[in-house]
Amino acid sequence: MEKEKIQELKSILKSRLNRPLRYYTDTCTRCGICYDSCHAFYGIPKKEYSPVGRAEVVRKLLKKYTRPSGFLFPYWGDAMKLGDAVLDQVFEAAWSCTGCRRCMVNCPFGIDTGQIMGVAKHLLIENGTAPEELIMLADAAVEKGKSIDQFKEGYKQVIHDLEKEVQKKLNLPSPDGLIPMEKQGADILYVGLAGAHSIVNPAIIFNAAKANWTLSFFEAVNFGFFAGDPDKTNFIAQRIIKEAMALNVKEVVIVECGTAFRILRALMGKLPFRVSSIVEVIHRYVEEGKVKLNKNSVSEPVTYHDPCQLGRNGGVFEEPRAVIRKIVSDYREMSPTREQNWCCGGGGGLVALDNEDFRIKTGKAKKDQIVATGAKIVVTACENCVSQLKTIKGGYGLDIEVKYLSELVCENLAIQSSE
Amino acid sequence: MSDAIKPDITMDLKGMACPMPVVKVSQQIKKMQIGQVLAAETTDPGAYADFPAWAKSTGNEIISTDKKENVTTFYIKKIK
Ligand code: SF4
Ligand code: SF4
Repeated sequence: MEKEKIQELKSILKSRLNRPLRYYTDTCTRCGICYDSCHAFYGIPKKEYSPVGRAEVVRKLLKKYTRPSGFLFPYWGDAMKLGDAVLDQVFEAAWSCTGCRRCMVNCPFGIDTGQIMGVAKHLLIENGTAPEELIMLADAAVEKGKSIDQFKEGYKQVIHDLEKEVQKKLNLPSPDGLIPMEKQGADILYVGLAGAHSIVNPAIIFNAAKANWTLSFFEAVNFGFFAGDPDKTNFIAQRIIKEAMALNVKEVVIVECGTAFRILRALMGKLPFRVSSIVEVIHRYVEEGKVKLNKNSVSEPVTYHDPCQLGRNGGVFEEPRAVIRKIVSDYREMSPTREQNWCCGGGGGLVALDNEDFRIKTGKAKKDQIVATGAKIVVTACENCVSQLKTIKGGYGLDIEVKYLSELVCENLAIQSSE
Repeated sequence: MSDAIKPDITMDLKGMACPMPVVKVSQQIKKMQIGQVLAAETTDPGAYADFPAWAKSTGNEIISTDKKENVTTFYIKKIK
């Protein structure tokens, strides 16, 4: 490996060594408690897929390049030297971790292996060996941010076509204005994804609640974050922040995408608007009586999968359950649940990579949980989770249906007359 | 217009979850020769901004789009 490259990677290690990371590096006792908390290790019981095993690679590099002992006594202890083989290990560690942070909840010291893997991903970005799919997606999202004015008209046109679906569902007299865009002073800026389902279902809910809202031009997902590139993460998130500020909205509501929600709610500092998940907003409308649901209209057994970034890392546990319980008569909780719920194995950008066999194997913990409930419908609130749950369904031949919460809500809306 | 375009490959991306349409198009275009045309059929409204942004960032070209009901076909020419 070239000297210059090693210098660049060393400077990444140094720049990332903040107080939490120093604590995580120094505190791990290698007790191994975290082994059994990782779905990857549960599915493939190899040390390198355990939290402590994957963190160890980064820990050794930090030891070698950020500590005097690593510099003075390079051949002592277990410090590791940067090189292609080591970076292959870094890749394996980082890109088999979904950042679900279940290990952190179970570690007696609260060590955040997901954050340690953030350093691993950053090293791979600098080394030019991060997954090219994610780099490509992040670059396209950055380009969209720079050139959005060129794409606005085409996008508005196709969104206008979707208004008819909202009109039909709600029996409204006209489709015009049912999916507003660039609405100055709207209360809510809703940020969806590329797919029609991520726009139409929330639009039905906003219209049913008679909300003063507007649709964003951008997609909520942040591929810069998945790729592990801090600059692109910031640029991609700022597109939405700037749009919200220009429209002077009071609240930004994020589509069913756990990571997008966590980034805007928790990682972008103090913002001049409230950030909510569409799940919280649906719950609010139901509680306020603005959205009415057909009670007990689903009799098949239903369970809910907590997306890690919405539940464990975002604190949204009760709202989706309260909404589901209004609609279904046979709700079954997974075990373990809430903070201890198993990750589906698709988060952290893994679902975009060519790794289906790995994701089926590491989805075993989730499969076992679902099967144990006997549920026929698995509801969740994250695009990544839906994709991965469908992969698990196919991989293990499960007789289940996977649904978005917004989809379940729209299927069971009590539609009022348009008068 | 697009009736005259004879794509070398046609991909059905209808109903795929985020971010698979762009990932699949990107993977496919890598396997193609310069000058060849990929027809990507999608139901995603987001593709109207995402595909042109992807094309711009990768140096490829969308030579035509064709919308029939809720399915849009993007004709993408591999430039590099
Ligand atoms: S549980 Fe915590 S302290 Fe124990 S090995 Fe895992 S990360 Fe280290
Ligand atoms: S964050 Fe999740 S995937 Fe990553 S090591 Fe911890 S438990 Fe495993």
